[in-house]
Amino acid sequence: MEQDLQAFTAEVRAFLDRHAAKAPDRTAFTWGEGDDSMAYFSAETPEVERRRVQQARDWQRTRHQNGFGWITGPARYGGRDLTPIHDLLYDAVEAEYDVPDTGTLSVVGLGMIGPTILAHGREHIKDRWLPAMYRGDALACQLFSEPGAGSDLAGLETRAVRDGDGWIVNGQKVWTSVAHHSQIGLLLTRTDPDAPKHRGITAFLVPMDAPGVEVRPLRQMTGGADFNEVFLTDVRIPDDHRLGEVDGGWTVALTTLMNERATVGSEGSGPVAAALSPQRLAALMRATWTWDDRALRARLAELLVDAMATGHLNALASRKLRAGITPGPERSVSKLMYGRNLTRAAHFVADVLGPRAIADTGQWGTYAWSELLLATPALRILGGTEEIMKNILAERVLGLPKEPGVDTRSPFRELRRSGAGQGGTE
Amino acid sequence: MSVSTDSELEELRAAVRGFLDAKSSEEAVRKAMDSTPRFDPLVWTQLADQLRLPALTIPEEYGGDGFGLVELGVVLEEMGRVLLCAPFFSTVVLGVRTLLACGDHEARARWLPGIAAGRVTATLAAAEDSGSWDAAMVSTRAVPSGEGWTLTGRKSFVVDGTTADLILVVARTTAGPSLFAVDRGAPGLSAEPMDALDATRALARLNLEAVPARLVGGEGLAGRTMSQVLDTASVALGAEQAGGARRCLEASAEYARNRYQFGRPIGSFQAVKHMCADMLVQVELAEATAREAARLADEGGPEFPVAAATAHACCSRAFVFTALENIQVHGGIGFTWEHPAHLYFRRAKSSQLLFGGPAVYHERLLDRLGI
Repeated sequence: MEQDLQAFTAEVRAFLDRHAAKAPDRTAFTWGEGDDSMAYFSAETPEVERRRVQQARDWQRTRHQNGFGWITGPARYGGRDLTPIHDLLYDAVEAEYDVPDTGTLSVVGLGMIGPTILAHGREHIKDRWLPAMYRGDALACQLFSEPGAGSDLAGLETRAVRDGDGWIVNGQKVWTSVAHHSQIGLLLTRTDPDAPKHRGITAFLVPMDAPGVEVRPLRQMTGGADFNEVFLTDVRIPDDHRLGEVDGGWTVALTTLMNERATVGSEGSGPVAAALSPQRLAALMRATWTWDDRALRARLAELLVDAMATGHLNALASRKLRAGITPGPERSVSKLMYGRNLTRAAHFVADVLGPRAIADTGQWGTYAWSELLLATPALRILGGTEEIMKNILAERVLGLPKEPGVDTRSPFRELRRSGAGQGGTE
Repeated sequence: MSVSTDSELEELRAAVRGFLDAKSSEEAVRKAMDSTPRFDPLVWTQLADQLRLPALTIPEEYGGDGFGLVELGVVLEEMGRVLLCAPFFSTVVLGVRTLLACGDHEARARWLPGIAAGRVTATLAAAEDSGSWDAAMVSTRAVPSGEGWTLTGRKSFVVDGTTADLILVVARTTAGPSLFAVDRGAPGLSAEPMDALDATRALARLNLEAVPARLVGGEGLAGRTMSQVLDTASVALGAEQAGGARRCLEASAEYARNRYQFGRPIGSFQAVKHMCADMLVQVELAEATAREAARLADEGGPEFPVAAATAHACCSRAFVFTALENIQVHGGIGFTWEHPAHLYFRRAKSSQLLFGGPAVYHERLLDRLGI
């Protein structure tokens, strides 16, 4: 195994050396020079964003042409038939290179929805969409969360009702990344409200250009709109677009969620990595004459301990990976720490800046941090709230018992809910 | 230096755990805490004879097995789990690391083979009443006397200071802080145990009145030696702390699974569940920093001093946090003398503060980062 992984790594390197340059050291910088943006979410014009999505598609096509489009996928659909370890290894090596960010395609579509279609789709759906997705032609989004179903996804209320050889869908989805660029969406609907909540859900693949599908940008607290709301009004979906059994959609959803992965070592990339660079934080303290403030120095040290400890955890996971061992709980811990570290860094810097964090004086590298400050609350919520992550760690790693609940046995219709689908006032 | 594979490290861990399960039960720990000396000399002999642990990190040319901090870390994680009472940290960490860092071949050749064979125990007497391990803060004086030196002053917080055969003392000459070797039986030396928060690690105060001593390494070089020793000792201590923290987590998780209140296991309540998850996070980080720092030390990586300071801070916090939360998860029973939770809290707090505590180690980290 280890030999095979070494050969694979060499192949990946050879490919990347041919098609990309090594990534620059993003933590190296000189105070007052270069881009001082600290935006976690994009603050781009639609035009720039479209260009980025195109670059991502082009890079995915290049990967695909060189055998890295779908490392774990079956050859029949353009895959490589290798293991998840190869996949993670590819990511770890690629992180060393300066390549377009393919997050819009890969995180949800290729990482989660592709494997779900493969496991639960009919043949004609797989033939039609899988090669297109991994070639970079088709983007996919995940129509899961609803206003009334966040952490408790199985409480979703979007309704699908039988109509001859198809279904009519009505409802609303929210926090849908990439919906406005997507050709298809993986949709979860309620088909039997009289069954317990996990047993009345059905999954479909819905073309995003189907009549009745409306995508509206959702403006988040930073002011930008990185996510969408998706409204479904009398959308007709043929039954052959169903994934899995009728009322068996929870199994489909689990396949999707199981494929959600924390990318190992990803904390080192992107402009936000600079937020945790000791040199950058030290330079900021010098520039603001807070260099010898003992209280701030102690906070800086605490912050750096956690940032570096998280880095060591990722390094350990990468090393395990190279030895062919699938990383364990350290991946969930990394995700928790990533949000925590960035949040603490943003608040530390704000406190160092004082009034310069609340209004722009025009000084380089100061007010720019307010973007990160506003973005960090999301990091404790997206991809599973901190509370849900802790439940998972406690239950799956430490074997603590689940909270006994009434909600898994009663009919869905009888559950108390706080959703928009209950006919509230307009 | 020998380097172990992952499976060899696991074999080492299993062997040490098997030994400690048999020799360092909670009952044995409590017995040792009340004994003089504060360890079982028979267990120490067996540790040397059966597992050769004192020899582990001593180079082969001095009769040792030539392993590095990675292997030492595995051993210390296991010792930390069970709060082993033994002069291992003083001898193998403080004593051996000081001799290896001092640059004095003659001193190494004189002392290391005895340590490797388990016949000699050692310690480092650096701190004085202020508790600082900074060599520049030392006021104990050394003056030339015949072919050797004599030392006068007072040392505190000396780990196993009443029992160590070899005491490495930091004292000031006209050239600055220097390192000296003192025999336990030397005239003018008296050692008394200090009343200590953690009875599983004996601390002593030494009074030195014109005690004959032998210079180790060059005059005025103790500052540099101490800096290296503190780096490696921090990592070693970090491994011990990580082991203790892991044990506290396991104890809490087990209790949370089995203790029923309100008709259900307390671990099914989110408040308790999240405490345990927070402990797990701290333990994972602690193990990662201690293991990565040990690896960097053995590879001679330039990032080692920063990693060592990180491990010291991270493992200190993790152990104190998990030891405290462990008491909280256990509730009232966790506050009793009979329950072992307080033994871990005592060890955790003492280990955190032994080399100076947060104010010192935070500045040390910033210093290593050039901030």
